[in-house]
Amino acid sequence: MLDTKGANFDSVLKRYDILVDNVSTPEEIAKKMLPTDPIYKKIAEDVVYMKYKDIAADVAEALEKGKDPHEIINEALVSGMEIVSDLYAQHVYYLPEIMLAAKTMEIGIGVAEKRIPGGRSSKGTIIMHAVEGDPHDIGKNIAAVMMRSAGYTVVDMGRDVPVDEVVAKTEEIKPFMVSGTALMTTTMPAIPRIASRLKEKGIEIPVIGAGGAVNRDYVESFDLGVYSEKAPQTPLLAQKAIEGYDWRKLREEWDQIVKGA
Amino acid sequence: MAIKRYTKMAYAKPDDMVFGIAKSPVSYGFGIKVGAGRVIPEINYAPRPGREATPEKLTKEYVDYISKDAIERAVTEGFPDLQLETEWVFQMGNNSEKFGRPVVEGQKAICEEMHEKYGINLAVRHTIPDMREAERGMRPGMDKERSYPEKVLESAEIACEAGADVLSCETVGGKEVLDYAVMTGDIKAALFGIGVLGSMDMEWIWQEFVKIAKKHKTVPGGDTNCSGANVAMFMAGGFLDNDVPKTFSAVTRTFAAVRTLCAWEAGAVGPDKDCGYEGPILKAIAGKPTSQEGKNCECAHADLQGNLMAQVCDLWSNESIEYHPEFGGSSVACWLGSLGYEVSLMNTALLLGQEKTLRDLYMYSDRFRGPEGFILAYDNAYKIGEAIVAEDNVYLRAKAAGLTAAKLIDEAYSNGTLQLTISQKDMLKNILKVLSSLPDDENKFIEDCVKQYSAEIPAFNPKNYEL
Repeated sequence: MLDTKGANFDSVLKRYDILVDNVSTPEEIAKKMLPTDPIYKKIAEDVVYMKYKDIAADVAEALEKGKDPHEIINEALVSGMEIVSDLYAQHVYYLPEIMLAAKTMEIGIGVAEKRIPGGRSSKGTIIMHAVEGDPHDIGKNIAAVMMRSAGYTVVDMGRDVPVDEVVAKTEEIKPFMVSGTALMTTTMPAIPRIASRLKEKGIEIPVIGAGGAVNRDYVESFDLGVYSEKAPQTPLLAQKAIEGYDWRKLREEWDQIVKGA
Repeated sequence: MAIKRYTKMAYAKPDDMVFGIAKSPVSYGFGIKVGAGRVIPEINYAPRPGREATPEKLTKEYVDYISKDAIERAVTEGFPDLQLETEWVFQMGNNSEKFGRPVVEGQKAICEEMHEKYGINLAVRHTIPDMREAERGMRPGMDKERSYPEKVLESAEIACEAGADVLSCETVGGKEVLDYAVMTGDIKAALFGIGVLGSMDMEWIWQEFVKIAKKHKTVPGGDTNCSGANVAMFMAGGFLDNDVPKTFSAVTRTFAAVRTLCAWEAGAVGPDKDCGYEGPILKAIAGKPTSQEGKNCECAHADLQGNLMAQVCDLWSNESIEYHPEFGGSSVACWLGSLGYEVSLMNTALLLGQEKTLRDLYMYSDRFRGPEGFILAYDNAYKIGEAIVAEDNVYLRAKAAGLTAAKLIDEAYSNGTLQLTISQKDMLKNILKVLSSLPDDENKFIEDCVKQYSAEIPAFNPKNYEL
């Protein structure tokens, strides 16, 4: 082996990840963002610090103390998840923390929504799937968790889902958006096939195209197609769709909508 | 063929390993000799979207465009050897007689024609797709609706019968548990998914593949843990990513070494698959030729060990490129040029007796770029290999490999040679704690994991692994 004694590898390599490493602790960042109400603060902290074993009891206690279930969801549970998203954006939290925090929040929501007559109202329903012939679904699964965390109802059709089944399900449950992911160039044509079939039927909803093989040019080459490069972008695009953006406007303002995610 | 475990290292010391030379070279195709004294470029490609619509279109794409372009570029630039790798697309695996066979036969024919015309050494590796889904069933008879397990074996049969020179596969055993592990940062689940379940699946399927390959005189090459360790590695990403800590993906890689080795222990002879970054560990243990990828696969993968991965390779690959035009010709021709010149450099080093110097230059340029490259540096890969062969079951092998890698990273961090971010350090600490506390008894570990992960992972079905 070559003798490298005394060699300084700084001219070979710059560890930018070390240079930009965020030395703040989650506690320091969260402190400034947590709710002021002590009951909501405790619940939000359960989400931020992923205390999934405590959350059910803490939400139940808040309900017993007369807190409104809607407010528990919005002021405590969703607020906690927003802090988690911020910690992720600041490179303090990683994917596992997002997943565990989301699991914690969902447990809390489950307890709170039992007290809401008719259940919690959803922001909207999305159909998600990995396309026909494609077994790669980890990206779809992550995006599904993020969509649920953001208050949407996700109908997850799984992976390797035939075009016909996606179209039929869309006709049946009338989602505001459909998403398909593909990791292979030979499976991604399923996404424009779905879009084309929906358009023929007069269903002009955004069809999100995502996954490793897919790029923005490809997704924007067919009507209804809207690209999502990373999982955290899907809830941002969904929010705009809920606000009334159609697929054309989502494309036009895409850079602005997904900025930073 | 029964499973025959490696119990000692093929090389007496790490320094004995170089690129282009393996203890057990393999010959096949039209004059290809892998690991016999020179490195061979391996070009991999994907058809343009839409070409999968009919067997005729797909065959034309693979044979008349992709294969022809690649071989002609090799001839144009004077490369003596070329291996083509066709990673079958879904349509070929789902209907191998109709879509797969004509591609294999067409590529065989063009290789023969060009070999006769120019004397260039050529071969084609066919990597069949593993379409099996855990939730539908991973063994024959379980997937009543789509028969994917049967189709995987049928693809192997047709590929070999139609003339594949090398048979490979990117199997997916254990993936459902590994995906969960990556998403939750659970190193125990990663060990169970890759090291135990993945290995069990590999042992079954590679005994089947070896039987089929031998029947048709095809070389059973090997596998990769693309579906597991590469998922972790790509999600760990580069310096601007924060999905998975890189210490997690580095340790996960060592579990993959145990898993990928199972193909060779089931009778495959190499070369393994290019995207199996665990290759240096495998070569150290078994002495069989390894295909690797790094800087010349930036068209498909960005990783933090672009030079290092060339250190002990026997084939050098681009991973995959979609066929499309570039300024310098088609994409396959351009990326083959890039591969071919890199291989020429390695072969010049071998010719002039400078191979160990070049090997070390490759290695040192990335040794400290990240934890995964660090543990794959050939000296560390060798140590991990030693930890693997010292144990006699896949669980203890994976545990020993993971602990060895974690300790190597920890030591390098402590002595200041390898830097780690806060999250990488936290994850490393957790990995050392978790792996150290695992039981020594394989059955106890499996029993515990089956109970825990059956409850937490809906797609995990122990019956897929005969558990």
